[in-house]
Amino acid sequence: MKRLQIGVASTTLSNGLHVVVAPDETAPVVTVGVYYKIGFRLEPQGRSGFAHLFEHMMFQGSANAPKMQHIKLINSSGGMLNGSTSYDVTNYYEAVPSNALERVLWLEADRMRALKVDDENLKNQRDVVKEEVRVNVMNQPYGGFPWLDMPPVAFRNWANAHNFYGDFADLDAADLRDVQTFFKTYYIPNNAVLLMLGDVKPEEGLALAKKYFADISPGPPPPFADPTEPEQHQERRGHVEEKFGTLPAMAIGYLMPKRRTPDWYAMALLDQALQGSRAGRIHRELVLEKQIAVEAGGGIDDLFGYNGPTQLTTRILHKPEYSSDATLAAFDEVIRDVREHGISADELEQLKVKWRSDYYATLEGGRGGYMPKYGLMHLLACFTLFDNETQLVNTILDGFLAVTREQVHAAAKKYLVNEKRAIVFRTPVRTNAKEAA
Amino acid sequence: MAAGAREVPNVAPALAAERAVTWPKRTSARFSNGLEVILAQSHSIPKFHGELFFRSGNAAAIDRAPGLAEMTATVVRTGTAKRASRQIEEDLRRIGADLSSGAGADTSAISFAGLSEFAEPLLSLVNELAREASFPEGEFERERRQKLEEVKLNRSDPGFLASERLRKILFGPHPYGQVAPSQEQVAAYQREDLQSVYREFFTPENGILLLVGDFDPAEMLKIAEKVFGSWSGKKPQAKVSAEPLAPRGRRVSLVHVPGAVQTQILSGCHAITRKHPDWVKLGLTNSLYGGAFNSRLVMNIREDKGYTYSPRSSVHALRQHGYFSVSAAVRNEVVAASLTEILYEMDKLRSIPVPEAELADAQNYLSGVFSMGLATQEGLLSQFSTVALNELPGDYLETYRQKVRALTPADLMATARKYLDSANMQIVVVGDRAQIQEQAALFGPLEIYDAQGTPLS
Repeated sequence: MKRLQIGVASTTLSNGLHVVVAPDETAPVVTVGVYYKIGFRLEPQGRSGFAHLFEHMMFQGSANAPKMQHIKLINSSGGMLNGSTSYDVTNYYEAVPSNALERVLWLEADRMRALKVDDENLKNQRDVVKEEVRVNVMNQPYGGFPWLDMPPVAFRNWANAHNFYGDFADLDAADLRDVQTFFKTYYIPNNAVLLMLGDVKPEEGLALAKKYFADISPGPPPPFADPTEPEQHQERRGHVEEKFGTLPAMAIGYLMPKRRTPDWYAMALLDQALQGSRAGRIHRELVLEKQIAVEAGGGIDDLFGYNGPTQLTTRILHKPEYSSDATLAAFDEVIRDVREHGISADELEQLKVKWRSDYYATLEGGRGGYMPKYGLMHLLACFTLFDNETQLVNTILDGFLAVTREQVHAAAKKYLVNEKRAIVFRTPVRTNAKEAA
Repeated sequence: MAAGAREVPNVAPALAAERAVTWPKRTSARFSNGLEVILAQSHSIPKFHGELFFRSGNAAAIDRAPGLAEMTATVVRTGTAKRASRQIEEDLRRIGADLSSGAGADTSAISFAGLSEFAEPLLSLVNELAREASFPEGEFERERRQKLEEVKLNRSDPGFLASERLRKILFGPHPYGQVAPSQEQVAAYQREDLQSVYREFFTPENGILLLVGDFDPAEMLKIAEKVFGSWSGKKPQAKVSAEPLAPRGRRVSLVHVPGAVQTQILSGCHAITRKHPDWVKLGLTNSLYGGAFNSRLVMNIREDKGYTYSPRSSVHALRQHGYFSVSAAVRNEVVAASLTEILYEMDKLRSIPVPEAELADAQNYLSGVFSMGLATQEGLLSQFSTVALNELPGDYLETYRQKVRALTPADLMATARKYLDSANMQIVVVGDRAQIQEQAALFGPLEIYDAQGTPLS
């Protein structure tokens, strides 16, 4: 088996900023990212959607790059850029020809140092975010299902359970003061990691990081939301409406163990046995064999990037001629089988080969052809921020390849239990007039 | 240096010297059965990516049924003479491979990726699917039901409805005029039709095999020859459809979706194919107009006015005819305002030369993004397949960037005047007529349809 070794150099500046360089001179391209250790969980009540709205604001102007300059400079340097917000991290990244590295670092440092936005910017991005929510969720069949529908059903702590795209009233209530306070509190070098991947030498990358970021003052350790959930003792169920589609749907989520515990590795492989590719048991049974479902699949939400309560989720769209009870019973039969018998040796072998193959694919891409090494960047950032062990990128694969049948079986028995799951049923309001009775 | 002294500049640093962009060498071959094979090395990860294309898609099968090539390609993976569906899926997993099969208007394809150490088993499986697919009755019926549900769901997807209507308007009875089959057409598919499409389209003379990854090209070529060499089959007769007439005069079609909380705008016109000498010019004009984030359209209706989240313009190079389109999902109250800006930005390009600095920015963007493909196996494969499928010159990749950089503001104005005429744009709006009909009617003679495509008064 060919061993892949990623060269990684890392350091921490005196202001607390982690810096990671993964050199690769194959292509004259460099991917740069800054990850801040914040996410949806710490939005206060009354400010749902704020972390995502704030992420938009980060493109709206910094001390020396007024509105539109940031995007203009990246694009005109030959690159593409984006950002994303999730439960526990917010990231900003760009892929540029490598001769633009210094410019990109200047931009990222400028907006880490001082955001410069006004009411007009805020109003503009609030409008944009509302249209984003409309186009992705409100005006789409099965929009937001299950990622927006599940948290309020699955979790009791508001930090984990609220609508992180944002209720429009909360978006309207967010003001410039909130933006500045949030920035000062969380957007500090000691709460972040800077990553450079691709056509950059480690010494060069570290020197440039010092040049542009060393003067940024650290801040007091920011307060984090306590994401602790009260223990769940009973299955939880919720019901929502589907406005457009005619197929009834359901999503089932089981609580996951903490990251990087032995159970975590086993659950990752169990997840693949259940729903990785068309060979997965859920798809095989519900879609191919019993033909109850039109779609059945899912996974663990950001296996490497979660740092709080999360779930292993399955999303099912089933034929209307089967009741939701019958569909759930078919799903439960798959779960019952793996709880009772575990998985076979041959199955585990296959899963491990596929796991290795998928891991390599993640390292190279992960965001299409235009954001090379996104997956590697994500792993390095999460291993740095959550585990303080950047080099895990080269050893973590071994943990998955060492999982035994017994561990997978034990994980199924421990975690795939009704008392630790939540189910959301999404019922169509329409019936198709063309369908025969 | 004194502690705390700040030496960070207040202006963006200049760009360093550009590093050379070098595309990997392509190894090409043509087997005696006519199969074209193109290989390139990329050792980033111990995997390889591949595509087996056939130069025939839904357009070539339209006289039998719309969407038939897509249905055929979908069912191909569900069984062969040697392996049933479950076996195929587990064998893929066993060798760490992913595989998909599908078809568009002009091509059918089997796409795959896997660990280099299992190259021969993966190519063997692809070969088996391409030559010995058995179209099991049960699998076909199951896939038919899946397709029916997909076709049903399309009718509540604003993006689909807009695209369907625009293609009808632009292409009429030409095969490109129908983007998806109807439920009735899917219900009427016959297994024998899938099998005959398969026999006709999936032949080595009609095929191109592209492989990019961690291998030695000479050795990989040997494996490909061993696996695919004994295959035989001629390419199908080329079908020529009557040239679609470009609609003249701006017209508006409203697809009525009661209660829609947002309106999908899609406006477009005929354009050109990749082989046309103006292709690079139109690509740059499009990018500056609305193809990049830093473009006139996005900076206007998103960053300045907040009407929309992801406006974009595109040039679509279908094999026989191309078209241009601009898309924006906007707040209902600003449909007229958005259309005004969309058309205004087009008109501006026709009469006011683009400033040199802005042009340089756009050229650098296109040029830089073009070479991103170098950094991943998928990116390389995508670039090579574009060249192969469109029969572009062998040095297309190597000369593209300099062609982009050679263009002038006069070139852009001439291109805008030739291809982007607001007076002839066809406009589609998908939304609630109660909210948007009056606004839409301001832009041209109006026709209204329901989501099923039935005209409404």
